[in-house]
Amino acid sequence: MSQSQLRFFKTIPVIPDRGMILARLGYKKRTTALNPSDQQMLDGAVRLGLALCRPAGGFGRYRIREKTPDYISLENRQVLESKDLSRFLRDSEEIVFMVSTVGEEVVDRIFHEVSAGNAALGVILDAVASQTADAGLDWLMEFINKALRPEGKKLTGRRFSPGYGDLPLPYQKVIFDLLDLSRLNLKLNEEYMLIPEKSVLAVAGVEGMGAI
Amino acid sequence: MKREEFREYLQDKIMILDGAMGTLLQKRGMPLGVCPELWSAEHPERVTGILREYIEAGSQVVYTPTLGGNRRKLAEFGLENKVVELNRRLAEITRLAVGESGLVAGDISLTGDYIEPFGEVPFAEAVEVYKEQVKGLLEGGVDLFVIETMMDIQEARAALLAVKESCDLPVWVSMTFNEDGRTIMGTDPVTAVITLQNLGADAVGCNCSTGPEAMIDIIRKMKTHAVVPLIAKPNAGLPILAAGETVFDMSPVEFGSFIRPLVEAGANLIGGCCGTTPEYIKEIKAKIAGLKPVPPKSRQGRVLTSARRTVEIGPQNLRGQNIPAVIVGERINPTGKKALQAELQEGKTTLVRSLALEQAEQGAAVLDVNVGMPGVNEKEIMLKVVADLSTTVDLPLCLDSSDPETLEAALRLYPGRALINSLSLERVKMERLLPVAAKYGAMFILLPVSDAGLPETAEERFKVIEEVYDRAKKYGYHKEDMVVDGLVMTVSTNQRAAVETLKVIAWCTDTFKAATIIGLSNVSFGLPERGWINAAFLAMAVGRGLTMVIANPASEAVMQILKASDLLVGNDPNGRRYIAAVSKEALHRKQFEDIPRSIEEKIYEAVVKGDKERITELVRAAVNEKISPELIVDRYLIPAITHVGDLFAEKIYFLPQLIMSAETMKRAFEYLEPLLGGEEKSPKKNKAKVILATVKGDVHDIGKNIVGLMLKNYGFTVIDLGKDVDAGEIIRRAKKEEADIIGLSALMTTTMAGMKEVIQLAKKEGLKCKFMIGGAVVNRQYAEEIGADGYARDAYEAVKLAESLIDKE
Repeated sequence: MSQSQLRFFKTIPVIPDRGMILARLGYKKRTTALNPSDQQMLDGAVRLGLALCRPAGGFGRYRIREKTPDYISLENRQVLESKDLSRFLRDSEEIVFMVSTVGEEVVDRIFHEVSAGNAALGVILDAVASQTADAGLDWLMEFINKALRPEGKKLTGRRFSPGYGDLPLPYQKVIFDLLDLSRLNLKLNEEYMLIPEKSVLAVAGVEGMGAI
Repeated sequence: MKREEFREYLQDKIMILDGAMGTLLQKRGMPLGVCPELWSAEHPERVTGILREYIEAGSQVVYTPTLGGNRRKLAEFGLENKVVELNRRLAEITRLAVGESGLVAGDISLTGDYIEPFGEVPFAEAVEVYKEQVKGLLEGGVDLFVIETMMDIQEARAALLAVKESCDLPVWVSMTFNEDGRTIMGTDPVTAVITLQNLGADAVGCNCSTGPEAMIDIIRKMKTHAVVPLIAKPNAGLPILAAGETVFDMSPVEFGSFIRPLVEAGANLIGGCCGTTPEYIKEIKAKIAGLKPVPPKSRQGRVLTSARRTVEIGPQNLRGQNIPAVIVGERINPTGKKALQAELQEGKTTLVRSLALEQAEQGAAVLDVNVGMPGVNEKEIMLKVVADLSTTVDLPLCLDSSDPETLEAALRLYPGRALINSLSLERVKMERLLPVAAKYGAMFILLPVSDAGLPETAEERFKVIEEVYDRAKKYGYHKEDMVVDGLVMTVSTNQRAAVETLKVIAWCTDTFKAATIIGLSNVSFGLPERGWINAAFLAMAVGRGLTMVIANPASEAVMQILKASDLLVGNDPNGRRYIAAVSKEALHRKQFEDIPRSIEEKIYEAVVKGDKERITELVRAAVNEKISPELIVDRYLIPAITHVGDLFAEKIYFLPQLIMSAETMKRAFEYLEPLLGGEEKSPKKNKAKVILATVKGDVHDIGKNIVGLMLKNYGFTVIDLGKDVDAGEIIRRAKKEEADIIGLSALMTTTMAGMKEVIQLAKKEGLKCKFMIGGAVVNRQYAEEIGADGYARDAYEAVKLAESLIDKE
């Protein structure tokens, strides 16, 4: 995997964890009771959510040119001012920006169902969409890790995002432009939030597997 | 070397490949960051030196230094117009270096981009990119091709097709598997070998990825179904980053200690990848002395693949064990389905994806895909559906079309080994389809129909089956590559129809030795209560050895009869599948038996169970029975929703159940409100007016909408201003409506400050109403900080909070 290149997946083959979807809805294993019609409704709604989600994503990998306790500067001279991010990337020589989205169709359907008085269906679709977007990022991290393995490298275990710590949300715009996210039909509103709603940006560092 | 000679050689000998090239070039002066292909072409003496060392160490095959020699990779260096020239030159250098001492393999690898259906690059474009490189390598005189370090089965398919469509030289494909035993895109070794050998690869295997130890298991798995020789070209151990450089930690001697186990696992061609040198090749040569390879298997079994899964078809697997009949889900077919027709006409596939997921959950192992209907471009829709389903589910597809062009296009794109539905003795169609099916290595359903029509008797069908098979053999087909359709006709017009089909199944099982399939529901067409007939017929067919059935897996009768039948004929060892399925079902039924109740109890229960479809009917019935609307509200509806709230608080109910109950309440109120006798008797008489809004800049509003729904059901008047609402607008409406409470929602740390702005503005304007807040990023402490009167974690808490705020007033 070479640096500074953008990679996009028109489709990410990810099925989100059902347990995580249910947890988002307040389901407690061994406590929450579902009768057959609830179960049927839930199964159907989860399935519909999965069918409506179009997981897609992409990533870009950049060398870190300079790293100080206050900021990092990338190979393309882009500067990210954040003490927390600098600390997060302390062992990294490269940075990876990632995006995961589930597309517009499911977001439109959630709105439609809630407006039409089918809020139960709406919240289940919402949970499926949120979990799918997160699962998309997990998949991307796993993918990048596999691609990094032959180089003896790996991603940081956690990921970072604009809005975390002292990395302000306007950096969403920086990442949006670096990754050229209009290619995935994404937009950014004036408050730096991604449209469609169920889309997430993340940052991770590239580290060595370990010294010998 | 011709492919027959190659195969013959490997029957009793192991072939030694070369080791790494890139790292050795760097050691011999190639700077980092240059184009390796260009540098190699400009420094032929360095390349020649390395290649000769490999030959001297024992390599019988060396790869051209053209790993990144395709247009897309060369474009990174502005060399996209030098593809043919560079590849030709590098093949010539390699040829000259080794002369007649070794074979030259034209090396092809990743484009660096991702191919559809996963990535953005169209499949056809990827094939053309590779063909250009193949042209240069052919002009340079390579003996064979090797497609290596492939991470995506679809990209490997594109490269393989490019070689196959350009020449008749042997072509090998070597995939890269990670430590989890799958490629980066999720393909397992068995699926990879089946897909690639059926598409025409002369050898398949694994390179890079791991050290030799981990590769043993990958080769062992591939060997179970490999009818081609297997390649093992491991790294010199696992890569480690040391002082900014990627290094490998395994010595040649240690590397050599894994050669015997690799051969015993089934490797027929062995070399080294990253980190290896001629020293490692010498070790391989020393260790294989006296070893005999395990030759490829003569049969691969009846197998279908998707990009990520292999499905075996019975009656027996390669280990001789009986296996259950395979369900082919029939529901992706627009015939008689108006919603599906409308969706496909619009070019959408949401319903198709939903049907695929549902059938997979219900037990289908293969999905039949038929998108043919009047007025649409079948080929275009089929390609879209195949692409979408290949990423939505991991089940193999059965491509069902009467149009050969549609089938050919679908087979080209499909990233696995598909089943074609179907091929018959209709000569024009057969002559067109057989070579296409063979080229893509697909299995096919043999429909015993000829130009003369549908044979009535089983004996007539046997003749058609044998004749089609004779034709198919000429294209390299074996009986294992086809599934005979019993040709199910309805018994409503011909009482012998089912008997003849059963005879065909029995004959195929016992005499002809082929797998069989039936389109189950045809048997009962035109008859009442078709489910019984279908189930009985299925049991009889399984009794005669049926291996696949095209059916609706949502049919409980079909699924249970199939499991029972499989148990009875010994396809379900120890009855595990059957017992597991029926135990689950029985438990489910026992837990939720319906008990008849009075109408009032049914109303209560409808709210508790969230049965909004029946509530209006129940309330109407109660009113008709002269039960007063006030009594219904006070004695049943309110206690029911309160009970639901308690269940939610105790986590016995989760959010969708709470909402369904709230929606049920809403419907009941909608019916009862006009009957309640005026404002003073309304359940809302004591409740307050609430303004709800998601603050400026925030587009998330589902949580706020749920709060609104719940508040309404507890008698509050709710005015929902929506999302991304300006502070000034919230205050203006609160004043105008004389709101008692303002509820604010925010989901982002960056937008939660908008809540404070609203509260400050309200105070400035002298507004007396209460404030409550909610949302993923806020909490009780934040509510206190900004001067809100309360925080609610969820919709039910919001109701309780609103009630307490009103009580305080």
